[in-house]
Amino acid sequence: MPKERLLAYLLLAPSVLFLLVFFAWPFAEAFIVALQVRGEWSLGNFATMARDINFAPALRNTMLLILVIVPLQVMLALSMAMLLTRIRRQRDLVLYIWTIPLGISDLAAGIVWLALLSEQGYINTVLDALGLIEGPTLWLSYERPVALFVAVVAAELWRATAIVLVILVAGVQLIPREYGEAAEVFGAGAWQRFRRITLPLLKPSLQSALILRTILALEVFAVVVAISGRDLTVLMGEAYFWQNDYRDAGVASAYAVLILGISIACTLFFLRALRVREETEMR
Amino acid sequence: MAGIRAENIRKIFGTYEALKSVSLEVADREFTVLLGPSGCGKTTLLRIIAGLETQTSGEIRIGDRNVSGLPPRRRGIAMVFQNYAVFPHLTVFENVAFGLRMKRATADEIDRKVRRAAAMMHIEQLLERYPSQLSGGQRQRVAVARALAVEPEVLLMDEPLSNLDALLRMEMRAELKGLLQETRTTTIYVTHDQVEAMSLADRIAVMHGGRIVQYDRPIRVYQDPATAFCGGFIGSPPMNFIRTQPVEGGGYRIGGAAFPGPAAPAGEILFGIRPEDLIVEPESGPGLIDAEVGVVEPLGPHLLLTVRIDGQPARVTAAPDLDIRVGETIHLRPGPGRIRWFDPATDQAIREPA
Repeated sequence: MPKERLLAYLLLAPSVLFLLVFFAWPFAEAFIVALQVRGEWSLGNFATMARDINFAPALRNTMLLILVIVPLQVMLALSMAMLLTRIRRQRDLVLYIWTIPLGISDLAAGIVWLALLSEQGYINTVLDALGLIEGPTLWLSYERPVALFVAVVAAELWRATAIVLVILVAGVQLIPREYGEAAEVFGAGAWQRFRRITLPLLKPSLQSALILRTILALEVFAVVVAISGRDLTVLMGEAYFWQNDYRDAGVASAYAVLILGISIACTLFFLRALRVREETEMR
Repeated sequence: MAGIRAENIRKIFGTYEALKSVSLEVADREFTVLLGPSGCGKTTLLRIIAGLETQTSGEIRIGDRNVSGLPPRRRGIAMVFQNYAVFPHLTVFENVAFGLRMKRATADEIDRKVRRAAAMMHIEQLLERYPSQLSGGQRQRVAVARALAVEPEVLLMDEPLSNLDALLRMEMRAELKGLLQETRTTTIYVTHDQVEAMSLADRIAVMHGGRIVQYDRPIRVYQDPATAFCGGFIGSPPMNFIRTQPVEGGGYRIGGAAFPGPAAPAGEILFGIRPEDLIVEPESGPGLIDAEVGVVEPLGPHLLLTVRIDGQPARVTAAPDLDIRVGETIHLRPGPGRIRWFDPATDQAIREPA
């Protein structure tokens, strides 16, 4: 083997080892645990999972959250990114402020929104002072599933839109200014420039942002638990409760495998739906 | 079709004055080249005319309309960009059709006009391709076709050939010239390449330091530069300048020869002459400039001589078969009527009193 190639493999070895020990092995382990009941190969864990009373609502809630949160976040982040291109002064400052929530842990973010929305929270105080409600109202209860859902959506939008924004801002900066100028000279207004030039050229960034956000949204957990306890069940939450409350690693692993399966399906969907043909790449 | 008028255009970027009250008039169907070194403001002026940049003060008129406050798309212009700016995600056909689609032209009209523009630029066989599948020269053709397809009143070109290699540039230059003579579209063309400017322009506007220092037909700019800068910037090799003082009894002595000339403004004057206007004579004689040969470069069509006249460097082009050696003194006759005089303090040409 030529010396340089040997060196290359040697340099790669530590990270490969790291991935094998801390990633590939636990990954395989989860599959094995999910597919075994008392030492026998079986689909029993998946059957238990599917029969559980919380399974259907958890699956439905998770999917609904993705369907609502991800498109809203992409639209918001797109508008924010376009706004940023128009700001001339203090652009970086605005970007920094918008990305502050990225630095806050999701559990902390959930607690912030809990503080806002609880019975004695800020929002109730303000609504009460304005005379819009009579006395403290309990918003976050299992009796108000829509309010719970909206609260989680709001918290997630606040917390995680910035990651989409950062990806899109980077993508927008890759588009040479001359394309926009050429479009403008040849008659395109602001909306047409956005739709016919910016959006198509932003496809690779949109694809990354959608894949990343969808996978993260599938794993939504801490925010939901902080705001709703188990009143709004989600897939990741169920995996947690089966592992820690019921001490059943098998069913917990079955949830993990299901989440992985959906993640891969979504990723493949976005890779295909937003694929950029090689000949149309910016070069 | 329409003429263009820029009146007293100023542009200030922060504390830097890029354009210092520039006025320019381009007649209907005229081809004007803005020529100058980088940083002279030529691209800024073009972008202001296009509406991509806003002037600090001044007015732009296209045809009989004041377009100063209008966005680019309402100015009736088309533009060819330095980096082509051909949209990578659209086919050549869609690129050329872009302006027509924005105008909501009918499918028939789009098809007809795209094919006509493509035929003019010889890219009919590329219509279904994407820009990344094209060479630089082909992309430039697409960019020009896109501009021609909308049949603009005014065509603006920003260094369109500067990214092409030398041979291709020469080819495209000739082709553009032929094409634009045919369409007779009012055109402003920005370049720093003096050969391009000489070749293409009806009139050249030479820009320097945020001003237009001369605006005239190419041959006039070449033969009668308004400033020493123009003489030095245009021509390769550039015009020679010999700094000198008047002699007693009037006139000047250059390399031992006496020349009448205009009065020196501050006791000094620049004697200017182009390298090809110095003719090498075999024998010394009255009116001949003595020059000491420093370097001889046989370039094929001519010899390029670097000489010293009164200790100051100058260049001379001579017939290729002359036997000239380094170190010898040659005798140069200025072509009749080819001597120019400049004020070294203001750079301005000083016309001899007729």
